[in-house]
Amino acid sequence: MISSDPKQVKAICFDRIHLENQTSLAVAKKNGAYKFLPTVLKDFDKERIVDEVKKSGLRGRGGAGFPTGLKWSFVPRNTGKPTYLLCNADEGEPGTFKDRDIMRFDPHLLIEGMLMSGFALGVKDAYIYIRGEFLHEANVLDAAIEEAYAANLLGENILGTDFSMNLTVHRGAGAYICGEETALIESLEGRPGRPRFKPPFPAVEGFYRCPTVVNNVETLATIPAILEFGGDWHAAIGVPNNTGMKIFSVSGHVNKPGNYEVPMGTSLKTLIEEYCGGLQHGTVPKVIIPGGSSTPWLLAEHYDTPLTYDAMMKAGSMLGSGAIIVMDETADVIALTRRLTHFYAHESCGQCTPCREGTGWLERVMTRVENGQGCEEDLTVLHDAATHMAGRTICALADGAAAPILSLLKHFPDEVRARLMEKAA
Amino acid sequence: MTTLFINEEEVTVSSGTSILEACRTHGADVPYFCYHPELSVAANCRMCLVEVEGWGKPAASCCTPVGEGMRVTTHSESLSKDREMIMEYLLINHPLDCPVCDQGGECKLQDYAVEHGPDHGRYKEIKRAVVDHNLGPFVSTCMTRCIHCTRCVRFADEIAGTGDMGVLNRSDHMRIEGVVEDALASELSGNLADICPVGALLDKPSHDVSRPWEVKRHKSTCTQCPQGCDIVIESRGDEVIRIKPDHDMGESWICDRGRYVHDSFRSDARILTPSIRTDSGMQVVTWDAAVEKTVNLLKDKRVGIVFSPDWSIEGLTSIRLLHDRIFKDAKVAFDLHRRDMRPFAFEEGFGMTPENIVAADEVVILGSDLRQRLPILMQGLRKRSFSDKPVTRIGAMNYRTNSELTHDALIRPREWGAVIARAMQQLKDLGKTAAGMDAWLLAVPERHEAGKLLADALLADSCALLVGEEIRSHADAAALIHGLDLIARASGHGEEGRDARNLIPEGMNASLLSAVFGDIRTSVSDLFDAAHDGELDALLLIGSDPLGDGLFSMQAKRAMGKVPLVQVGAVAGDVSEYADVMLPASAYSEVDGTFINMSGNVRNADEPLSTLGEGRPLWKVMMRLIQGFDVDVPAVDVREIRTLVQGYLPSLAVLWSDCVDDTWHMPVARQKDAIFLPTGIEPVMALDVISRYSMYREGAWVRASKSLTEAGHIRALDDVLLHPNTLQAAGLKPGACLVRTASGDFTFDVGVRDDVVEGVLFIAKRGIAGDLSCEVMASLGGGQ
Amino acid sequence: MSLQNEIHFTSERLQEIDVLVKKYPGKRSALLPVLHMAQKDFGYLSMAAQQLVADTLNLRLMVVREVVTFYTMFREKPCGTYLLEVCTNAGCMLNGANELLAHMTESLGIEVGETTADGMFTVTEVECAGACGGAPVVQINNEYHEKVDATYMDAFITRVSGGQS
Repeated sequence: MISSDPKQVKAICFDRIHLENQTSLAVAKKNGAYKFLPTVLKDFDKERIVDEVKKSGLRGRGGAGFPTGLKWSFVPRNTGKPTYLLCNADEGEPGTFKDRDIMRFDPHLLIEGMLMSGFALGVKDAYIYIRGEFLHEANVLDAAIEEAYAANLLGENILGTDFSMNLTVHRGAGAYICGEETALIESLEGRPGRPRFKPPFPAVEGFYRCPTVVNNVETLATIPAILEFGGDWHAAIGVPNNTGMKIFSVSGHVNKPGNYEVPMGTSLKTLIEEYCGGLQHGTVPKVIIPGGSSTPWLLAEHYDTPLTYDAMMKAGSMLGSGAIIVMDETADVIALTRRLTHFYAHESCGQCTPCREGTGWLERVMTRVENGQGCEEDLTVLHDAATHMAGRTICALADGAAAPILSLLKHFPDEVRARLMEKAA
Repeated sequence: MTTLFINEEEVTVSSGTSILEACRTHGADVPYFCYHPELSVAANCRMCLVEVEGWGKPAASCCTPVGEGMRVTTHSESLSKDREMIMEYLLINHPLDCPVCDQGGECKLQDYAVEHGPDHGRYKEIKRAVVDHNLGPFVSTCMTRCIHCTRCVRFADEIAGTGDMGVLNRSDHMRIEGVVEDALASELSGNLADICPVGALLDKPSHDVSRPWEVKRHKSTCTQCPQGCDIVIESRGDEVIRIKPDHDMGESWICDRGRYVHDSFRSDARILTPSIRTDSGMQVVTWDAAVEKTVNLLKDKRVGIVFSPDWSIEGLTSIRLLHDRIFKDAKVAFDLHRRDMRPFAFEEGFGMTPENIVAADEVVILGSDLRQRLPILMQGLRKRSFSDKPVTRIGAMNYRTNSELTHDALIRPREWGAVIARAMQQLKDLGKTAAGMDAWLLAVPERHEAGKLLADALLADSCALLVGEEIRSHADAAALIHGLDLIARASGHGEEGRDARNLIPEGMNASLLSAVFGDIRTSVSDLFDAAHDGELDALLLIGSDPLGDGLFSMQAKRAMGKVPLVQVGAVAGDVSEYADVMLPASAYSEVDGTFINMSGNVRNADEPLSTLGEGRPLWKVMMRLIQGFDVDVPAVDVREIRTLVQGYLPSLAVLWSDCVDDTWHMPVARQKDAIFLPTGIEPVMALDVISRYSMYREGAWVRASKSLTEAGHIRALDDVLLHPNTLQAAGLKPGACLVRTASGDFTFDVGVRDDVVEGVLFIAKRGIAGDLSCEVMASLGGGQ
Repeated sequence: MSLQNEIHFTSERLQEIDVLVKKYPGKRSALLPVLHMAQKDFGYLSMAAQQLVADTLNLRLMVVREVVTFYTMFREKPCGTYLLEVCTNAGCMLNGANELLAHMTESLGIEVGETTADGMFTVTEVECAGACGGAPVVQINNEYHEKVDATYMDAFITRVSGGQS
């Protein structure tokens, strides 16, 4: 049970996640799922829902941290076109694995969140775009949706109200870039996932050129609690401007990797030491990537940084999707960087020149550097190629690809130079 | 309107314009690869980055709309570094093969590398190599040079409508590929080489032939179809290397027919010297000897003159001068497709401009394979589907189009009367009438439902009827066109400004021809029959090839076997076999001449190439003949010819005055007294005969072109096509079949295709099965 | 223009596709799901299968080709009975994925991307599977196996090979 006292809240999205058989509608209902839905559908005004979400301070949990209520308020009303709600369940940022747990253990929470959000936005058709590899999770969702349809929680005149909404699970097929919202829309339209330039933004022209809201799984799963307990309640959790609980996916060199939902503002050190059982080797981390592989690296000196969007920004990185990759003293940061450059080269959609050519170039140079076949000029090349990719392309993949290179060159120049010398040795 | 500042200069552009377009129209130079004014925005090359004050990062100007008060900088140190890096990214995998690349000298990549690129490469790894593909006879590929701007893919999707180019894979494995069997399915494929900014897609016929800086550019007019596109002929010396659309005149694209016909200019089929037939074949002689021989053959004889409509106005008028001075009683014909010589209520030519047709609320194509007939107009109609504007088609064959048709009704040629009557009835029931409608309706007892589509379209505010060869060549064409005229007028589409009537002509200069030859023209088939029946003594063929083109090859063959033939022309064709004298005339690329296209627009080609061999402009050949008959020559230079043209058509005076008005155009002839009622053709045989116009086969120039002939082979259909049910009903199988007609029985390879309406015998290849083309009806005899 | 098709969807599949198509504002949206179906039915997406999908959804072949070649889960070539996909991205790499992959290819005697001669196993390297908490992760025929080590994989391979490998 989620506490109505913000100070006592232990979890929001993960509140019921460990309960047995929570995927079954009957069990989920017994545990409180859909309890508040009738009140929302019958008594809540659409504008009020948007206001509550604005008041809650909820920021998009997919990575960019854009205020959800504000995003919703950009959707034009009465355009004569349908408005679509798309759930971004393409969870692909290396290090991120939180949405998977919501979907496979508590699918009804997501459905309920989408129903409330869809109601607020006047949506008739909603889709969950789930990464293709999550076949099990897609099947769990499909089964839950089927049960929800049978119980009149989806479909026509939901729970006897005027509100009707369809929900469809749509599997991707292996493309990291489809987590970018316009690439996701392209993919959902049956095309390669190549991001669209903006403007127009999806809120105005998205899926089939209609107004479209794309929200992350965790974001949508937070909505039921916000509506039940109020925006102010949510705003009182965490710290100002960084409110609520947040799921952090911790992986790498920690003793107990996994997902931990903690109040925003908890420090990195607390999360790693107290929740994750500390590092595998040594006592201070060599590198922490705080928000998924596309975010700049933090070092031991940042160990006390609070887990908030603002503090991470101040420390020179980003909270991103909350995917924390921890490396202890045993880590080969050059090998890791090389591996990440391979990832971005593999996942670049290929449309923009700097990203298409730059990611491959970075990988090839990094491979030489890792193998001790680099030279001093390579460092300039890596720096130039990475710097001029970032911010020069349609989407942010190039920025993500540049981050590990620039972090490596910034924080570990000596280690890299030493590797260059190996060839000579 | 939005006001912004580009490099501190205040400019005002319409709202929604992109920064790049604002820069382009205000002279601020911004480099780009993927942007193309006629294509959708891709924003992928990232070369067009500019700085906008207050923005954290550079903006791609092609996809960023202007904003009020925006301050844009197109040149800065930081942008220079960005552009240098974009060039470096593009060049890491680009081969350094400029010396052997055709694009060298007109290559954006090369130009920008010099202007913006780094002075040396830092890339030490292995470069990407990409497999080439065969895209057919017109486009050659070197895909390793591709920079993935996707212009070609967008062209195939948005302009050609074939969508056979695409982007495969992703990351730096991404490559452009075509899904093609033998060739791109587009009649506009040559434009791919033009829009590729690098040397990846190249013009195949001119591959490895010349360098861009060696060529001279001549503005000219394409006469390969009535559209008459403005073209630029690129030549090295007297040799034509390429033909391109004239962008300065607003032409974005030209079709493959008009573009690639030029290899025929230097082909063996050219008539380059005067020659006469001797016992040992054709023998080259002097002009004097050839003219003397011609005079001997034609003097005081009953002569039939058949000419091509595609000569310049000056040439065509000189034919009339020859007629009036020497052959006053000669029969004259030029339209190889027209059976019915009665005057048409609206004559050949367009009452609307192509722009107005594309913009009309409704467009109805009546009996035409418009994609083959007028590829550029069809391209325009394609754009209508982007704005959900309808295109309706009624006709005997489901011709493959590159755009979705809103309505498509298949009818038999004998049903045209019933279609028009159905439309007329509907208009009449709505109280929309024109004098003469009742009589017309009374003459046609049947009603065909396809007429509803026609009437519905005419009820729109603006409507374009595109009347094609199925009606123009119909045995009862004058009556059908009168019927169409009635319904157009009844629905208010006969008035200036709302005119819907467009009759697709056979060739260029249609409006001039009706004006200059209207009083003396006769039917080609009558003319040949007369020659065959001993009513004519000799034939003078001027640029026309009735054996290869049109409907009357059988009659032409019979006639030419009977009487002497003098051939004047630039390209020989099949008729040369029969010629007793051949006189060379200059090609359309070689004359200082004036042309009128189907919309009545006038074009002057005044930068001609030199004439090959001993050929002379047609008007000079005609004057030389007049002189040969010891008659005073009416004109000794092109100025005098033009003065004489004005004798026939005073309105043309403006053309050659110093103050030519670009918008001047020659209106199409309307003949209010062309009142004919459908007579109904006795359906003595089971099948209607329709023959196909192929852009790769029709026209002597085209048949002399190697590359177009190759394309024609790739796109060849079976000689004769029937609907499977038609063949089955006759108890026959595809293969050799006996076809019975009024002129006799023929055996043909018959294929089946359900695009043909049942009850129609479709002749896919005139020339091979062409002798059947003159028939309007046929029946099937036995099979194999 | 159609390639010769010797493969067909079953009538049940076609019905399923009919239902699916109606869930979207445009037919084209069904392309990814239908390609998943085709891959399940035919093992991989041959040109014939791609043409079949194009015809079924009334799309141009190029549209299908673009999508098939863009997404890594679509295979244009057959793979082994067991497709073993090893994640070697950051989280898994830090927990021994490279060593695990090397062990697997060595014990099966193939290179990454290859299939064993008996057609039983294909080993590939994939990008982050989104289960880094259970690193290293191996997907076996699209089923997630977490905290996998050499012993686990050896046991699996031996079990499905009938105890012979």
